[in-house]
Amino acid sequence: MTLDTIILQIVSGLSEGMVCFLCATGLTLILGSLKVLNIAHGSIYMVGAYLFFTCNRFLANIPGHFYISIFLAIIGAAILGGIIEILVVRPIYKLKDIYQYITTFGVTFIMMDLMKIIWGGSYYTINYPVFLQGPIHLSGFILPKYNLALIILGFIVFIAMYLFINKSHFGLVIRGITADRTMMSMLGTDVPWAYTLVFMMGCALVGLGAAIIVPITAAGPGMDVMVLIKGFIVIVIGGFGSLGGALLASIIIGLANAFGILFIPKVAAGFPFFVMVILLIFRPWGLLGKPIKLD
Amino acid sequence: MQSEKYPTFLFKSLNKGVGMILNVEKVSKDFGGIRALNNVSFTLEKGELSSIIGPNGAGKTTLFNVLTGLLKKSSGRVIFKDEDISELQPYEIVRKGIGRSFQLLNLFQRMTVFENIQTAILAGRGLINNLLMPAKKMVRDETEQLLERMGLTEKANENASDLSHGDQRRLELGIALANKPELVFLDEPCAGLIIEETKIMMNLIQKLAKEEKLSVLVVEHKMDVVFSISEKIRVLYEGELIFEGIPEEVRKSEIVQRVYLGEQKN
Amino acid sequence: MSMIIENKKVSSLWLIGIIVAIIFLLPFVVGDNWLSLMMEMIILALAASALNLLLGDCGIVSFGHAGFFAVGAYTFGLLLYYHISPFWVAFISGILAATLFAVIVGWFVIRLVEIYFALLCLAFSQIIWVIVGTWYSVTGGDDGLNGIPVLSSLYPVKNCYYFVFTVAGLCLVLLYLIRESPFGRSLHALRDNRTRAQAIGVNIKKHIYIAFIISGFCCGIAGILLVVLLHGAFPGYAGFIKSGEFLFVCLLGGMYNFAGPIAGAFLYLFLHHIITRYTEYWPLILGFGIVLIAIFFRGGIVGFAIRKISYFSIQKPE
Repeated sequence: MTLDTIILQIVSGLSEGMVCFLCATGLTLILGSLKVLNIAHGSIYMVGAYLFFTCNRFLANIPGHFYISIFLAIIGAAILGGIIEILVVRPIYKLKDIYQYITTFGVTFIMMDLMKIIWGGSYYTINYPVFLQGPIHLSGFILPKYNLALIILGFIVFIAMYLFINKSHFGLVIRGITADRTMMSMLGTDVPWAYTLVFMMGCALVGLGAAIIVPITAAGPGMDVMVLIKGFIVIVIGGFGSLGGALLASIIIGLANAFGILFIPKVAAGFPFFVMVILLIFRPWGLLGKPIKLD
Repeated sequence: MQSEKYPTFLFKSLNKGVGMILNVEKVSKDFGGIRALNNVSFTLEKGELSSIIGPNGAGKTTLFNVLTGLLKKSSGRVIFKDEDISELQPYEIVRKGIGRSFQLLNLFQRMTVFENIQTAILAGRGLINNLLMPAKKMVRDETEQLLERMGLTEKANENASDLSHGDQRRLELGIALANKPELVFLDEPCAGLIIEETKIMMNLIQKLAKEEKLSVLVVEHKMDVVFSISEKIRVLYEGELIFEGIPEEVRKSEIVQRVYLGEQKN
Repeated sequence: MSMIIENKKVSSLWLIGIIVAIIFLLPFVVGDNWLSLMMEMIILALAASALNLLLGDCGIVSFGHAGFFAVGAYTFGLLLYYHISPFWVAFISGILAATLFAVIVGWFVIRLVEIYFALLCLAFSQIIWVIVGTWYSVTGGDDGLNGIPVLSSLYPVKNCYYFVFTVAGLCLVLLYLIRESPFGRSLHALRDNRTRAQAIGVNIKKHIYIAFIISGFCCGIAGILLVVLLHGAFPGYAGFIKSGEFLFVCLLGGMYNFAGPIAGAFLYLFLHHIITRYTEYWPLILGFGIVLIAIFFRGGIVGFAIRKISYFSIQKPE
């Protein structure tokens, strides 16, 4: 185990962790502030990825198409999220949680087929822009550029979200809604639309994450379930509604995976679930979530 | 505030058993930094029908929750018939013979009135571990009897959620009495009832208490009710028992007036 | 009022008798394909009814019932596939394994509520999914186990049919008895009002735990029966989508009636069978169906039917 390998694994693990983080940010925002568990999260993610791929192809001749496509994927995911929220989630806000799970679960099926119709069943990937390809030499170590870019981007997203929620006006609205929905509506906030907006924001984040991942992991059938499960694991370990928790959890999972595969490859796939189980047993509110009373 | 106890004179009581049924010893309850109950001590005699009054936030419901096991006390003891029940789970306390009704209606909404009472009786008798026998016919007689005494026989097959508020209050009371307890805690049994209904309810409580030889502790805000039926009144203020006595004594007490009755109109 | 209830009881006995007769006589009338479909239906009905003991009767959601299903199926399947034990031993072992799994998972899960409960169940079922899906050398991984040998007398579809329906039927009867027992009443009580249930003497945790174990037990049997039918076991048995199917079937038929999950299972597979004949876009249609049912038909089809029937029976003069 040379230092080179260790550093490489760390970078690999961190970037894998950032992938998880980007899978989870939208989910945790929606769950934390709207208390909605969006099971269609994975599907929206997949749409974002496919959109990114398609836009990239169409705009291949335009300079900067990579970035434009990312932007379009974000917008597309947000719009899709808005539609879903208005049609499917709004009618059942007041009901028991089970209806929420079922309707978003139903949306998953609808999307699964729609995507099959529009994009077919194959896997798609693209190349990342030239300046991000290949390795970079950093103080004697050779590291893959794109992974580093991912790590940096993950932190940027985290900081941006943190600032937005805690410092901006709409962030205040979000925090208000999380705390007390009725009160907010009495204070003049148009709560249904605020909800829709937050939902769309969550989905925009999903679109961002999806687009960025395509060069690394490719988009294809099964992505929706994979992303959803990954997202679940991250928010459980990190804590419901906690952004910092999601980041922390993602990093831990990423690193554990990277090193786990080196030493005990067979079990590595199940490792995140084990952590999830342990956490749910002893600390169900996650690493950084708000403690709840255990019956 | 200091506790002042006036000497309690012998008062007339209807059908009393001798001896204490409940002994609350220096019970305190803390929520984080807040002391919701502070060294509350009192005893209940068997067959006694008494009340607890106090301004909102005094800790009356918290006290009930501690006595019935829904909250764990921070210190002190609760002794029911010579047994310390303060560490027991709520369902264990119920089985010992204590019933409780709630300030906010706590009915089984999806079940019918009959099923509400029937389930409560089955649970109180410890029959609910029975997995294979049909419950429909079980304890039918007792259920019908209790329904009759609560005046709910006609509504037996209606869903609990469909009843009028007055009937729901009766059902609430009925569930508390289902397992034939020796001691019942009634938390604002007349909340939301108009004057007529309140009178009926209080008469019902008195009647049942006499017939079943129940010891009853009532929390109520309606002063006319409290003063008319209670043998003893205890006043809770900011988590402390500041006065205990017969109604006349309570009416005359300056402390109580200062704290509570002064703001109340009778 | 009571006369109507008495009439209902008599007519439901008749209904059950007719249904049993139909089930018995069906193999003489229809072909093997229909019998296979019927078997799939009753298996799904059993799994969903098992889930409904928690969902409809306790008011608790679990995302991981596929875990019990798969544990039962794979234990049974593996023992037969590798010729480790004869049929009946494998059968009992499968049941015991699923029940043991429920005992273990339940012990951890009962401390939690709502979403945490649901997700922990999911986590456990995902562990099973990972194990059966990636342990290629033993479980065949993604390909699963194919050609599991069952009792030779069960190869003819007719025999298999009677076997499956008998076992599933017995389990359903068990579930029904439990639901109608004082224990079942206590479950309804803790569903409707947990605080009050405590206050009348129900040990909430214990009762949920017992319900959980029974649920796992029956769901495991359903998994075993599917292996008997298909002679195969696959990782999909443990998947999140399978758990979702169980949930949906309960909602489709109605959570608050015993017949709900059963009706839901039959309707669901029937529609699946018919619609997949004409189009490959079953998930699309299913998805729309799920969303519409959840938003507009919350009592499920059985709830809907009961409302219609009671409407008519009220019209009848006594």
